[in-house]
Amino acid sequence: MTTRTEKRLSYAVLVLPALIIYLSVVAFPTIFSILLSLTNYNGGLIFGNPDIHFVGLKSYIWMFTEPMGNFYQALGNNLLIVAVSVFGQIPLGFGLAYILSRRLIGRGNKLFQTMIYLPNVISSIIIGVLFNAIIYGRNSVLMEVKRLFNPSAVFTLNPNPMVPVLVVILWMFTGFYMIIFLANLQRIDPAIIEAARIDGAKEFRILWHITLPALSGVIVTTAILAISGSLKSFDLIYAMTNGGPAGKTRVLSLFMYESAFRGSPNYPLANAISTVMVLISIVLIIVVQRLGKTFGTKED
Amino acid sequence: MTLKRLSALVLAFLMLAGLVSIGAAEEVVELRVLNYLDMASPNSAEETQVIWDAFEEAHPNIKLVIQNEFNEPFHQATEAYAAAGNLPDVMYVWPSGRSTTLHTKHLLKDLTPLIERDGLKDFYIPLATDPTQQVSGYVAMLSNGVTATNAFFINMEVLKDAGLEPAQSYSELVAQVPILAEKGYDTVLMANQDTWVMQSCLFSLIAGRFGGEGWEQKILNGEAKFTDPEFVAALNFVKQIYDDKVINPTTLAVGYGEGPGLFATNTAAYYIDGDWRAGAFITDASTGEALISPERQENFKITVFPDIDVEGVKLNKSNTAILATGYAINAALEDGSAKLEAAWELVKWLEGKEVLTYRLSTGGLGSPSRTDIDYASLDLEPLQVAIANLGKEYDKATVVIDGVFEGPVYTPLNDGLQAIGLGSLTPEQVAQNVQDAFDAWKAAK
Repeated sequence: MTTRTEKRLSYAVLVLPALIIYLSVVAFPTIFSILLSLTNYNGGLIFGNPDIHFVGLKSYIWMFTEPMGNFYQALGNNLLIVAVSVFGQIPLGFGLAYILSRRLIGRGNKLFQTMIYLPNVISSIIIGVLFNAIIYGRNSVLMEVKRLFNPSAVFTLNPNPMVPVLVVILWMFTGFYMIIFLANLQRIDPAIIEAARIDGAKEFRILWHITLPALSGVIVTTAILAISGSLKSFDLIYAMTNGGPAGKTRVLSLFMYESAFRGSPNYPLANAISTVMVLISIVLIIVVQRLGKTFGTKED
Repeated sequence: MTLKRLSALVLAFLMLAGLVSIGAAEEVVELRVLNYLDMASPNSAEETQVIWDAFEEAHPNIKLVIQNEFNEPFHQATEAYAAAGNLPDVMYVWPSGRSTTLHTKHLLKDLTPLIERDGLKDFYIPLATDPTQQVSGYVAMLSNGVTATNAFFINMEVLKDAGLEPAQSYSELVAQVPILAEKGYDTVLMANQDTWVMQSCLFSLIAGRFGGEGWEQKILNGEAKFTDPEFVAALNFVKQIYDDKVINPTTLAVGYGEGPGLFATNTAAYYIDGDWRAGAFITDASTGEALISPERQENFKITVFPDIDVEGVKLNKSNTAILATGYAINAALEDGSAKLEAAWELVKWLEGKEVLTYRLSTGGLGSPSRTDIDYASLDLEPLQVAIANLGKEYDKATVVIDGVFEGPVYTPLNDGLQAIGLGSLTPEQVAQNVQDAFDAWKAAK
């Protein structure tokens, strides 16, 4: 066996397990999901079922044109979550990380860091149930507090039910981005900052001209994580509001789940929703990468 | 010598026959069962011991491998098994609704030949063996009873505190709203967070009262539409209920599991759910605790939604009824096979006199399908007696919408009923959406 063959063989052996896993749990389901979205399959046997046939883009057309507008409602909620993640969690996470790394607060640095990161180690379901008990219902903690000030306060439905969900999402995931930024801030050579300081640079100039450019790649990475995470958000909302009231807090993943598993199953519609979710993810990630390049990130 | 040889031959034959019979006796049939275990029911914990272990003890040649699921995971498991062509041998099913796939794809065995072979027909109410009651068009499951999807629970403690008597009509209900609110009570409580609740437990009844008996057949036959004045009037009545605060729109934030607890703690004067919900209030045999103690239960009544004294109503004193759930056998089991016989033995046990009597006593069942149950021998709590007598409170039964129409049709209705509560859609828009969905469904058929 020649060295070249040995090399190729060893590459193949090393790559094969990962490739098999990727093909079986990512590529195959994705392609199969796209195929199912183009069929009339509505339950029962998948393989060897003579009643299944291709119906083209019927499910996609229904999804975009159905009279209730469920898709657009869910998409709108997802975009709100994306906005809160990208323009809320990331700047806030960065700000907190900067405060901690520059030791701008005195004592209690570690405690502060732990408190902000803590929601990340709690299950989303638990947080969802917890905030459901805090915010929703006539006997919620919020209502009890309201009654302390106004004994005749009555529970009413929030006209903007997504707002509490967005606040919880902001609170829950900011710590995650803070840790990422903190780790990367600590990689910046302190000598550079020290030199800038000796040259008379103030805190804002250090931030703008040294810290932010050094972290541009991390910002793009966190933005990609935020977008992909926002589009697949399910567990927290499922536990907190279950998409209600009247689907006002429904997101795409919940809409997909309901189409597949609630009431009479509509698998083609559910698969069409998942395909569109993947496409939206890809588009948003490409946009973020392009923006990153425009603003001089080294990320490819 | 010949006799000796003959004796030896006979002996050898007998030994062989004995061995074969021993082998046959020891052959154990294993059955996979997908069971729905209502974990919200106070006596569900006892069920395993009383029902399943007892069956295995009485049938040592049948081994049960049971998968217990509750609520959504149950339906997901069913659909996943159906998709994989790997259905269990025996499973819990609905006559329509969430089990539509099993019925329409004919994945369940037709039990008619087995029922006739064993002469069981006379032991069940006619509805249970009526093939038209199941979406499959044949007797795909042996049902445990009949379900009334509207049970109007009345809390006399709350009414007494407000100086009121149970409302007999809708206008009386409306008149009670400010009086009850003054005392801090809601009028009618519903757990409306899940979309099916309003449709199944109230709107189906309203549609029946406005549309009259057989309204659904007119739509299915193309003689009527969801956009016709009768159906729109029924939807408008739902809007009126919310506008009048008879049912508060905040009930859209009440989860299905929360309803009984809120009602038991005197949150509202009335509570709407299905007849199955009475079981949630009674004593849990394992703890001796009850959401409403038997003594307090004397202060509660169960009837149907009051007469709707609004223009356009065609009938009152009606309810919506549907064949209850039951057990079915996988259609893939071969006729005459030992597995099919074992599965049938299990279904007969699960829908037999002993188990249905037990379920009746634990509150797991309202109106059983067996005709030979001795009610006098049962020690029932007041709410169980009230639910058993619910049938006397109405004289007409109309259909439950999700029992007649398929998911693509009732889903926009379920969503629309919530949208009416929130004020984001008008009744006319909801009616149009449902009609569009019905037209699309019919075209696809």
